[in-house]
Amino acid sequence: MLIYILRRVLATIPTIFGVALLIFVLFNGVGGDPTYQMVGKHATQKQVEEVRHEYGLDQPKVVQFGNYLKQIVTFDYGRSFSTKQEISTMVARGIGPSLTLTVPAFMFTTFLSVALGLLVAYFRGRAVDRIVVFLCVVGMSLPMLGYILFGQYYLAFKAGLFPISGFDYGWPDRFEYILLPMLIMIVVSLGYDVRFYRTAVLEEVSQDYVRTARAKGLSESRIFMKHVLKNSMIPILTNVVIEIPLLILGAFLLESFFGIPGIGGITIDAIHNSDLPVIKAMTTLQALLLILGNLATDILYTLVDPRVSLK
Amino acid sequence: MILSSFSRSGGKPFLSYKTIVITGMCAVLGLGLSGCFSKEKQFKNTLRLATPAKIKGLDPAHSDDMYSGIEVSRAYEGLLQYHYLKRPYELEANLAESMPTISKDGKTYTFKIRKGVLFQDDPCFKTTEGKGRELNASDFVYSWKRLADPKTVSTGWWILDGKLVGLNAWRDEASKSGAADYTQDVEGLRALDAYTLQLKLVSPSAQILYNIAQQFAFAVPHEAVEFYGKELLNHAVGTGPFQLVEFNGASKVIWKKNPTFRQQLYPSEGASGDREAGLLVNAGQPIPFVDGIVTTVFEESQPAWLNFLAQKLDASAIPKDNFNQAISESKGLVEELKAKGIVLHKAPTLDVTHQTFNMADPVVGRNKYLRQALSMSIDRAQIIELFHNGRGISAQTPIPPGVSGYDEAYKNPYVQYDVAKAKELLVKAGFPGGKGLPELEYSTMADTTSRQMSDALAKSFDVLGVKLKVNSYSWPEFQRNIREKKGQIWGMAWGADYPDAENFLQLLYSKNSSPGPNDANYSNAEFDRLYEKSLTLMESPARTILYKKMAQLIVEDCPWIFEMHRLSFGLTQPWLKNYKPHDFDHARAKYYRLSK
Repeated sequence: MLIYILRRVLATIPTIFGVALLIFVLFNGVGGDPTYQMVGKHATQKQVEEVRHEYGLDQPKVVQFGNYLKQIVTFDYGRSFSTKQEISTMVARGIGPSLTLTVPAFMFTTFLSVALGLLVAYFRGRAVDRIVVFLCVVGMSLPMLGYILFGQYYLAFKAGLFPISGFDYGWPDRFEYILLPMLIMIVVSLGYDVRFYRTAVLEEVSQDYVRTARAKGLSESRIFMKHVLKNSMIPILTNVVIEIPLLILGAFLLESFFGIPGIGGITIDAIHNSDLPVIKAMTTLQALLLILGNLATDILYTLVDPRVSLK
Repeated sequence: MILSSFSRSGGKPFLSYKTIVITGMCAVLGLGLSGCFSKEKQFKNTLRLATPAKIKGLDPAHSDDMYSGIEVSRAYEGLLQYHYLKRPYELEANLAESMPTISKDGKTYTFKIRKGVLFQDDPCFKTTEGKGRELNASDFVYSWKRLADPKTVSTGWWILDGKLVGLNAWRDEASKSGAADYTQDVEGLRALDAYTLQLKLVSPSAQILYNIAQQFAFAVPHEAVEFYGKELLNHAVGTGPFQLVEFNGASKVIWKKNPTFRQQLYPSEGASGDREAGLLVNAGQPIPFVDGIVTTVFEESQPAWLNFLAQKLDASAIPKDNFNQAISESKGLVEELKAKGIVLHKAPTLDVTHQTFNMADPVVGRNKYLRQALSMSIDRAQIIELFHNGRGISAQTPIPPGVSGYDEAYKNPYVQYDVAKAKELLVKAGFPGGKGLPELEYSTMADTTSRQMSDALAKSFDVLGVKLKVNSYSWPEFQRNIREKKGQIWGMAWGADYPDAENFLQLLYSKNSSPGPNDANYSNAEFDRLYEKSLTLMESPARTILYKKMAQLIVEDCPWIFEMHRLSFGLTQPWLKNYKPHDFDHARAKYYRLSK
């Protein structure tokens, strides 16, 4: 397995190189020029050139790309063109609040959706199944913004059940602020996940081994919890593990509306400002996380399914 | 995560279901209880304000956006400040003991620095074990050289660019050598002694005092720059009324009253009506009145608005989408908010919004009648109502009300909405009914409102038979497009840096063409001559006449389609006292008082 992991890690190098090249070409070719942002409105041509020189933007593109690759290796992306803040500090500051929101929401969503998926599969075709599926479709149909506006106005402002917005770095105060956005995140994700897990479970329910288990006289609950759930693990794991890297990248809309100083807005702000160092750092981070997520999924397959082996 | 704990054999799980369920319940309970235990932060005599954008940092040299400028001004100060109450705006001494003495030729300014002013206590003052030292004239020499230092890459350099004798040469030398020599004497910027600062100007300037009143020119101690380096962005070591407690530009900035702040008094005189409005109740009393300030970042307007209604903010702007909820048809406060004691503050803003023609463009830049025709096709009253909730007055020239050169009675003939006349002008332009005119291109931002405004403009032009193609860009792409003279027509707004019509007229001075602020690339020798002449004149009727003449030239040449001067509508809670809208005094929170 170690060799497999090593081989997969080495295989990320050309992928990261490809991602880096794509980002570099895209933002140098069609993106805006960050220099004009940096010099301000009162700039002269001379100042524009001075700033380009200061930030190495006047160097040949090959040299600039080489510097970018060096940054990837050293994990040192320098400072943001826009805010002048150290990028590593921006990311480090944002990860905590983002994870405070996304990790509990993700855990609750996963736990609830797997449980509900099993439940509705168990009652397939009956009223419970229909009601839950109907609610899932309704839940998926409404945009997250709708939930946010509703939640902030009715649940937070009118009913006073939650703070309207804000964040506190202290423990456990920060949880007070993430309850409502977490609830919204769960509601929004639940519809898709429940339907997905329901399908995964139903696929297993129609397998021969379930009929055999029933024929042997096993109770339905034992069949579901011991056999069906375990055999549904491959699609469930795929869905769950692939979402984990995204947790670190935050939830832009929720963070923005609820004033959570997470990482979600960093990339969006950077794109708006042609903040190349931040764009480079965030896209590389995202690519790395996704690659690691895929690797973790493969490894976990072997843990839940002995038929799977890593070669 | 929970599900990945199964063993590979498919036998007994690493974690039993019981463990998983208990862990989950604990997590739920933990979150729920934390909600119960969390206490609302106790705000006692602390001002709670909102800002609509992230605060980039607290270094005066980089505080080019208004919101950073406001936060910077809580901790840092300059030689001069704006009188809080007087209108028209007036400068007064702040860290200077008094207004400067000016030589007869108008080129030498001598400032006496206020004695006994201390920098805030900070670890950067190593020799005094963190105790803030006294401010002296050299601090301004250092801070302004730092602004000129190419390595600082300050967006505020323009306030001194070309103005002080020897400073540009010092900057050029620093640029060549790669390292600035701060010990090198600059003739135009000298500390004659600890409390005397002398400036020598290249030529007399009516704007120099306004320039050095801006936050870029605030005093920064060299110890702080050396100690924090680029991290000075996240610290504040000034002489100002508030001391930084916590800085998180993405979320919150917390300030407390600076214990070593000198005695400064609330103004004893103001503009007419200020006494009746209760703005002089605290005249002569020491400021600041509040013990702290919490500035919270609200990038979305709804949470800010709801927090204000829930009395968790002391002041608020009125979001466009909530305008009708707060303001009645007669443009007053709605009864519901009146009953809560909320106060509405309306004030004109020193700004102008306009459509810009690229005068370097072969189609729109060379045909005055075409530009005039397009200007007359726009129903400004409708645009102001539709997109700005009626918060604006139609602009006749670039000069807004509140500064010399504005003429309330003047009506720009090309700002009047007259389709028939516009069609006549289009005939004179050589494009009757738009025939023969290629499709014009409009550059705008990719957000919904910009798109809607562009569509309204296209509709206005369409009435004349002129077709407008709308190209949407991100802000940096938009900037590149216009700074590299590629755009044809685009919308823009300019908020004054200081209360002088020159700040608006410089936007059309040919030597300021792109990438400078004259992005219309307008060039008129007569305008340039008048502009240069006006620069040497102090505020006087003669200068005002020059401003009006320049405005006339612009009106006739029509490089801009004038739109509006905006009106600001702000709300305050009944307990917030001494609040008066101000275009330039970013440090105004020091005058506010909470009366709960």
